[in-house]
Amino acid sequence: MINANLKSTYAADERVLNNRYKQAFVYAMIAALALFTAFGNDYLILIASQMGILLIAVVGINILTGYTGLVSLGHGAFVAIGAYAVTIFGNLGAGVIPAGLMPFISVPLAVALAAAVGVLVGLPSLRVKGLYLAVATLAANFIVIFLIEEDLFAPWTGGMVGINTNVPNLLGWELDTKREMFGLIAVVGLVSLLAAQNLIRTRVGRAFIAIRDRDYSAEILGISLLRYKLMSFALSAAYCGLAGALFAYFYARILPEQFELALSLNLVAALIIGGMGRTMGPVFGVIIVVMVPELIKVLFGALAGDSAGAGQLRAPLQQIAFGVLLVLFLLKEPLGINQIVDRILRAANRWPFARG
Amino acid sequence: MGQFVQFAINGLMAGAIYALIAVGIVSVYKATKVVNFAHGYLIMFGAYFYFTFAVIVPGQPWAPTWLASWQPAWMIEMKGDLPMFSPVAAVLDWVANLPRILLGLAGALVCNAILGRIIERVLMRPLMGQSIFAMIMVTVGLISILSGAAQLIWTADAASVPYIAPNMPIRFELFGTMIFLFGTDLVNMFVALLLFGGIVAFVKFTKGGIAIRATAEDQSTAYSMGISVPKVFSRAWVLASTTGAIAGAILATRNGISPSLGLFGFSVLAIVLMGGLDSYVGVLIAAMVVGVLEAMTQWKMGGGWAEIVPYVTVLVVLVWRPHGLMGQKEVERI
Repeated sequence: MINANLKSTYAADERVLNNRYKQAFVYAMIAALALFTAFGNDYLILIASQMGILLIAVVGINILTGYTGLVSLGHGAFVAIGAYAVTIFGNLGAGVIPAGLMPFISVPLAVALAAAVGVLVGLPSLRVKGLYLAVATLAANFIVIFLIEEDLFAPWTGGMVGINTNVPNLLGWELDTKREMFGLIAVVGLVSLLAAQNLIRTRVGRAFIAIRDRDYSAEILGISLLRYKLMSFALSAAYCGLAGALFAYFYARILPEQFELALSLNLVAALIIGGMGRTMGPVFGVIIVVMVPELIKVLFGALAGDSAGAGQLRAPLQQIAFGVLLVLFLLKEPLGINQIVDRILRAANRWPFARG
Repeated sequence: MGQFVQFAINGLMAGAIYALIAVGIVSVYKATKVVNFAHGYLIMFGAYFYFTFAVIVPGQPWAPTWLASWQPAWMIEMKGDLPMFSPVAAVLDWVANLPRILLGLAGALVCNAILGRIIERVLMRPLMGQSIFAMIMVTVGLISILSGAAQLIWTADAASVPYIAPNMPIRFELFGTMIFLFGTDLVNMFVALLLFGGIVAFVKFTKGGIAIRATAEDQSTAYSMGISVPKVFSRAWVLASTTGAIAGAILATRNGISPSLGLFGFSVLAIVLMGGLDSYVGVLIAAMVVGVLEAMTQWKMGGGWAEIVPYVTVLVVLVWRPHGLMGQKEVERI
């Protein structure tokens, strides 16, 4: 999509959305989301909300894995920290802070806490790389979930049985329906996506990319690995914390088992399926990761009805489908759906001339 | 003091099994440079295969009765006048179970070897020469596939499986306290250590082992010296899945069979990194240390905290020594 894209100033070249197609796409998305929030049916709103929450977390992991090149298999822990922190702050401050202001205080606090833990978990990244880091983050995930389940903290976290969450109240506007919540999720999701797109255009984002491409070379160019690797960890953890906060607001109850390894793997899988290091990658990935299990559920419902045997088969099948998708993409299209979409758009753009 | 010794011995016995599981991860890493995140799930398959051949198959109507429980005349005669809980009775029970234990072990070994080969052929071989990240992520995808498949295949509630060795209690006094052990745990430990030693010797001294080490050192040089690298890859995977089958059978008798057996793989992964990915000795030390630390944590702080011991130790060790206790430091060229 590079034709008819004349730029005569540097400012035009440095814009976040640097061509008309991107601008048009974003405005169209905003309009579509607004219409969907108003008129979409309840079931679709529920699915879309799940996608939106997951999307924010995947955008975060994209900053770390896609742009900085650090692998993490433990980002479920940061989602957990965000979700629990928002709930616990909400409960502790219930009488002290007016309810209408609560989310404006507890969400930033939760995000900051997730980022702080992110820095802590990221510390090994200075000395180890690749799979060592993957295992270190995996270990962090197990430890965080264990601490949440531990009896010692059960008065605050609710332990194994989980904890009831609060209804968000934005300056007196209680978001007690899923539709209202989806509105909030859509706005936050869109803003975080644009913020990520903006990030890679800045000095920090370019430093991340330099580290991904070759970290020693980046260091020689004057990029402090310590600072930028930790910054990347903090940013991605903050995104995941934000996703966690919305998760807690969206569901009536949160359980520690929702944030276990399965979630961390889901996040990474969504990123790989969608396409790493691309802004739209997380969007495509999240759509697949949420839709495929849902489709299997619908198909099963149509084929087998509600018999008990079908229910027993469904969960393993969803799991297998998920693994097969991840493996297939790695084998056949390691750059993800984004690459496929790019190819289609390129072909459409050049039609009827050479494709490729 | 006696308590300490008791828990230390328990820890060493658990550590030996960790070492046996770890040997699979190290072997695959040495040959193919892939860290197998799904190794725990291979072990889980081993456990389920053992369960299938040692419990389900002998329970079928078409199976001969001696398979389920071997009762020759001399055994019934011997058993007749034995007191309860005598060691001889435990041994006799074991002998009666022997046919199905052997069938279970053989079945688990063969099936897991086939499974390992299939994984290597279908998933890992096409990725040869691709980035390490892709290979690791394929093993992550394998986690979902294997755990889903296990739930799909073995839907029945898992019954208990026969012990691999006679399960008689052993008691003796040390430092004024009774030490209490089970015979089967001791045998498990010896089997695990023996296998570990056997594999180390295999890699060190045999032709196939030298091929594995040569491939680990430099793939293209190994190729040009006439070593078939793909063959080395599949040999390493088969080695990992067969040791995994034995480890799975042992774990099945210790912890019972459930899909959560796969999680063992992750704590063992932590142990492997702690010891150094390519060092058998380092991994053995790390496995023993973690086993003992876990037992001590269990003693002092309760069972829950023992779960996270491997993960906490790996974080500490990685910050202190990034390549593990005895791992080789990678030299990187820009």
